[in-house]
Amino acid sequence: MKELHAGGIGARLPRKEDIPILRGEGRYFADISIAGQLHVMFLRSPHAHARILSIDVSAAEELPGVVAVITGEMIRNEMLPLPQPSVGGGLPGRKPKFWPLAVEKVKFHGEPVAAVVAETPYLAEDALEAIFVEYEPLPYVGDMEAALDPSSPRVHEDWNDNEIFKSNFRATRSADEHAAHIEEAKRRIAEAPFVVRQRFRTHRCGITALEPRGALAVWDATEGITAWMTTQRPHLQRLSLAEVLKLPQAKVRVIAPRDQGGGFGMKGSVYREPLLVAYLARHLRRPVRWLETREENLMAAGQGRDQIHDIELAADANGRLVALRDKIQTDAGDGCLGGTWGYAMPMVGGMRLPNAYILPFCDIQLRVAVTNKASLCPARGFGIFAPRFALERALDMLARKIGVEPAELLRKNFITTFPARLSTGLGYSSGDFVKTFDRLVELVDIPEFRRRQKEALSLGRYIGLGISTGVEVSGVDNLSYLTATGGPSYATVDLRVDSEGHVTVAYGDGPTGQGSQTTIAQVVAEELGIDPQNVTVLSGDTLTTTYSPGTVSGRGASMVLPAVALACRDLKKKIVRVVANDASMVAGDEEFSFADGYITYCGNSNLRRSFAELAHRIVIGAVDLPPGDTGGLEQRAVFEATRGNVCFSAHAAFVEVSPETGRVKITRYVTSDDAGVVINPLIVEGQIQGGVIQGISNFFFEEYVYNDEGQQMTSTLESYKIAKASDVPRIEIYHDAGTPNPTNPLGTRGIGEGCIAPVPGALGNAISDALRPLGIEITDLPVRPGPLFHRMDVALRDDQQA
Amino acid sequence: MNTSVSITINGIAYERSIPIRMLLVDFIRYEAGLTGTHVGCTFEGACGACTVHLDGDAIKSCLVLAVQCDGRWITTVEGLAEGSELHPLQIAFNEHHALQCGYCTSGLLMTGVDLIEKDSELNEEKVRHGITGNLCRCAGYSNIVDAILSVARARTHEEEV
Repeated sequence: MKELHAGGIGARLPRKEDIPILRGEGRYFADISIAGQLHVMFLRSPHAHARILSIDVSAAEELPGVVAVITGEMIRNEMLPLPQPSVGGGLPGRKPKFWPLAVEKVKFHGEPVAAVVAETPYLAEDALEAIFVEYEPLPYVGDMEAALDPSSPRVHEDWNDNEIFKSNFRATRSADEHAAHIEEAKRRIAEAPFVVRQRFRTHRCGITALEPRGALAVWDATEGITAWMTTQRPHLQRLSLAEVLKLPQAKVRVIAPRDQGGGFGMKGSVYREPLLVAYLARHLRRPVRWLETREENLMAAGQGRDQIHDIELAADANGRLVALRDKIQTDAGDGCLGGTWGYAMPMVGGMRLPNAYILPFCDIQLRVAVTNKASLCPARGFGIFAPRFALERALDMLARKIGVEPAELLRKNFITTFPARLSTGLGYSSGDFVKTFDRLVELVDIPEFRRRQKEALSLGRYIGLGISTGVEVSGVDNLSYLTATGGPSYATVDLRVDSEGHVTVAYGDGPTGQGSQTTIAQVVAEELGIDPQNVTVLSGDTLTTTYSPGTVSGRGASMVLPAVALACRDLKKKIVRVVANDASMVAGDEEFSFADGYITYCGNSNLRRSFAELAHRIVIGAVDLPPGDTGGLEQRAVFEATRGNVCFSAHAAFVEVSPETGRVKITRYVTSDDAGVVINPLIVEGQIQGGVIQGISNFFFEEYVYNDEGQQMTSTLESYKIAKASDVPRIEIYHDAGTPNPTNPLGTRGIGEGCIAPVPGALGNAISDALRPLGIEITDLPVRPGPLFHRMDVALRDDQQA
Repeated sequence: MNTSVSITINGIAYERSIPIRMLLVDFIRYEAGLTGTHVGCTFEGACGACTVHLDGDAIKSCLVLAVQCDGRWITTVEGLAEGSELHPLQIAFNEHHALQCGYCTSGLLMTGVDLIEKDSELNEEKVRHGITGNLCRCAGYSNIVDAILSVARARTHEEEV
């Protein structure tokens, strides 16, 4: 086994970023203030759908401390609307036009209608009460299936229907080839001995981060706009700000704060409010700050999932899957969200639907509707939470029909040759699904559980086991990313060494708690043989970093860290050239070792120089360098993925359902994950622990509820319930049956994004397994004790009567 | 309407003239400039990120007006360490990877210290119930529970010795 460098790759190094945060010295958005700053508060629509007849701001303007009151009419000719090329230029569907403030009509409860700028937030909030808006209510479009009916009122009046996007995922097949493909899928299902046909419904929920959004902008006639904002994608914000304000990119600087209180996709979009804040700073020539309230956040950002799947899944007599059909519908809300437009998530989810299984014939059709709700937003898993629930549940039901253990059905159908390509066109670079899955099966001992289950049932107790899997995105190639987002996916890092040998790594993403300061330092420590404490990581500032797509899609471990390794390896070549030149010798890179802060010649350990001394030699003592070399020690590297990299997770949930209350208790939850080469097990396990708990929270607790008039009823954390410590179990995490990723120089895979996706399948399967004696299948989320108790109660009464 | 208050935070008396409607959390963040105390909900006491100690008890500083704290003493997360020496719970959070984004962390540290100081027989169930007033969105709670228990157990062990 390879020797572990102190704090290098594989070490359970406690995180570097923790200490300032633990001391209360974190630097989050809300901690940044600029002298003379003004504060913005938004007046938001009380209607889901209404025409704006008039807005009277005169009384608000007169109130003490109020500097300006702005409406949509005042800005529509002052700044450009979205869409602009940077946000969704490559996306294949429609993109509704919108400004930061509603123009002519409002399209969801919570849409910003006017903005007050005042000397304090308290005074700005007071003035909101003095704005008078006259609305003419319009019919609420709130049901995705009704919205797609041609007779539905339209959300966007310049469209002829409410369909923002549709796809049949025909990949590179011609229309004729695809028609034949669908016919074959239908034929196979018609002839199959085992078929499951089922509708699955995943509710509107998401991963709202604990820190809400915010933006603070300063205008300067020379430098243009400098804007601090909560974002996972500072460079994308910069491009879109430049576009809507008609400024050259050079006049826009966006800074994501060093510490950000979670993102999970919610901070990955181009939103209305920061665009307006930047406009106001230029318009008023004063620093302007907006700090979002939780209520605003729950009304306008972070709503995800929300899909219906009508699935047909068939297997032959040997238990091999023969074909899959799925009609997917998604509620995109108003679709006014720069970057994903409410449909990039279901689009990617549809592409990834076939998961880990050999399914050569798939007829997958997606229709995405716009409705009078807040736009659907990226949420951890990016469109895959609902498809995984639907397919993993369908597989479980299919196994029951065949009469085999679900684990047996899954194992028989795993993709085993790589690189693989799904019928939807999506590529998987590598993995060993069987190995990772077998580890899970070994950990859970299914026969023993079946014995206990039987025994429990005889005592009137309902216990169940559910298994599911997920193959999830972990860094994709430029072409795929350009098609889905309009931007490339490559990772760039700039590494520089000071004359004391301290290394600084700068990159342009906006991390939100992933521990990237630590994992980047560990890769540098491993490659250069220095202490990870001698590495500083800078991120989030578009002035000091080059273009980068952002902290999204599991890119950290699979894209950024490989770029760091490449930069270190190039840097080492220069150091070796200098050492060899100084010693008047000729030697190759491999003849030197970098360890414990020293560079040592393998042929003679007396030729040994410290990293710090060499840094000084090259940065300051920059004379007599090898021919062609210059002073200074810095290196840029870019890493591009050649294929779609994936991680793989297999989950097992054990539950007990109480017939007295309908409450589900998770008695054990185990994961086996392929996270590739693990840089820091502490961090990987932390990502999985947190990701699974988020999935559990989505499954049981969280739901954005709109009433029949489109009023959003869940705009506080009292009503939008997030799992608390006493609600959730401890997750048992195993990543010892992974496989190195051959498509990057470190062998890493990003696990953070995808680890949530198998959760709804595992839980749904476990509860259905527990309640199979009562004939109850879980097909709709969330699962709540009340309705479940009712279903059990009815089934038990029926039993007694029979 | 303004009024004068004197509130002692981490041993320093802050004498200010403030609007009577100012929340304690805003006093801490904007009058005293101590930004380690966070706000994650709309001042409804649901998230716990603003938890501080008021006269030695953990409270949510978004549910208290600053004027109610006139003449009283407060400890915030900045007051946990003694100079460069971190509180054992701060060290335990680092060792147990009990934080990811860190936004809930100050509140959980303040609640955790309160639990440890007031209950010498903490167990996992008690800790899980004891921190229900604090939401964590990233870490999934188990590492936080472990961190609090490790300090509680070390303290019990010290007392026994």
